[in-house]
Amino acid sequence: MDANRLSQGQLVAAVSAIALFIISFLPWFGISGGVVVQGVGAVGGSENFSLWESENPLDIYLLIVILVALVPALLALSGGGGDAPLAPFATALLGGVGTLLILYQVFDTPGDLDRKVGLFLGLIACAGIAVGGYLSMQEDVGGERY
Amino acid sequence: MGGRLSQGQVIAAVGAAALLVAMFLPWVGVSGPSLPSGVQLPQAVGTGSTSDNIWEGSTLDIYLLVTVIVAALPALLALADASEEFSFVSAATFLLGFVGVILVAAFLTVDFPDGADRKYGAFIGLGAALVIAFGGFRAMQEEVGGEI
Repeated sequence: MDANRLSQGQLVAAVSAIALFIISFLPWFGISGGVVVQGVGAVGGSENFSLWESENPLDIYLLIVILVALVPALLALSGGGGDAPLAPFATALLGGVGTLLILYQVFDTPGDLDRKVGLFLGLIACAGIAVGGYLSMQEDVGGERY
Repeated sequence: MGGRLSQGQVIAAVGAAALLVAMFLPWVGVSGPSLPSGVQLPQAVGTGSTSDNIWEGSTLDIYLLVTVIVAALPALLALADASEEFSFVSAATFLLGFVGVILVAAFLTVDFPDGADRKYGAFIGLGAALVIAFGGFRAMQEEVGGEI
């Protein structure tokens, strides 16, 4: 495998997609609370949920975004680049909509859960995928691949 | 207006209108047990049925709203007599509609709340997303055909 086969946009999108996949296992939402029980004292606890544990269609959508961002890079690395003129556009579009959806979750968390670090890192990674897709589109137009 | 729109764009716009309407219909319902006549429950215990549309849910509502706007964009521009044309709208309509079908299908199967009932709004939404994806695909084909 030769990373030089990847364009700058493909590289940015692929690295962001791998980062988003790893981040999806970090805590995205959490619930914390404590109850004082007479005779026992404070009984407190908190529970965190990763992207996959929260009941939200965002997990399936972001999995699609990760796959769409990774496939062109994997095809280019394996030397079977093929002709996929829609791939950079699909990466930019789906990554952009994904960024919008995560941003919405930052302001309106499901069930008033707490925001955790994964949510913010996921937002950055998804924005990275959108930027990578946009850069790929620009490179394709510049290189007249269309 | 219709003359300026391709067949695919018209199909996508009809799908977008249907999806927008479907989003206000019940998608999820909870049915309570029926009681024999004469049995009375405390006031706080309900036995009826409730239903919610997709706006009560999660990010799926925002995603479907974005899909509706993108699919209806060519028709809205034609209605406004605007001369702008966005070259990627058909491809965007196809992509968003196709992913929308996957998300609604996943919502109806793996992501559906436990113990709740599937209502007709969800199935109309699934059909409308399919129509949008087909319309976008058809519009892409028509654009390619027009360039030859």
